[in-house]
Amino acid sequence: MFHMDRKKYKQIRVVVLLFLGAIVGVSVITNSYMLAAITIFIGLLFLVLVRSKTKITIDEREITIREKAAQMTYAIFAPTIGIGAFLLLFPSNSGLSVFSKGEWTYVESLGTVLAYLALFLITLYAISYHFLNRKYGGGNDQ
Amino acid sequence: MEAAMTNKLKVYRAMGDLTQEQLADELRVSRQTVNAIESNKYQPSLELAFKIAHLFKVKIEDIFIYKKGE
Repeated sequence: MFHMDRKKYKQIRVVVLLFLGAIVGVSVITNSYMLAAITIFIGLLFLVLVRSKTKITIDEREITIREKAAQMTYAIFAPTIGIGAFLLLFPSNSGLSVFSKGEWTYVESLGTVLAYLALFLITLYAISYHFLNRKYGGGNDQ
Repeated sequence: MEAAMTNKLKVYRAMGDLTQEQLADELRVSRQTVNAIESNKYQPSLELAFKIAHLFKVKIEDIFIYKKGE
């Protein structure tokens, strides 16, 4: 079975991404979005196949960095969309008629979308926390 | 009171005449991880600490030192 190391994989990835970028750039300029979509799909498929042939070990430091990055992203993103939703929904629900017509209806819709997104994010976090907590021995006090 | 971990990985690596790259390959981690451990920017997991100790045929506490600060 053919194997390649991490360094070779990174080199191939750079070449593929440059090639992808060039084709997508040309596609956008010529307005052929289908070509761009197909190129991205084939490029990603190729990278996945190449990666499967590579002995890549994701080391523990990288996992720690990913965990901290995910934690930080959640800590910033959840309050941002929550507060954003509140600020967008607040004028429409303030009782003033000026906020319930025209472009304000779009603002209210955007606020609703953000509110559901915030709920979805918090629910997803709570569910994954629950399962991971059980996986790592939480809740088994005896 | 602050506790800190230090290590002698660089010393043991030099004694074993290994480069960071070679040690990283032996441990199946990246060179950056070895560098981060040596410069005390990253504390390895217990598993990796055992791997390192086994590789140099010493006890964990010979390489990793727990310092209880003031």
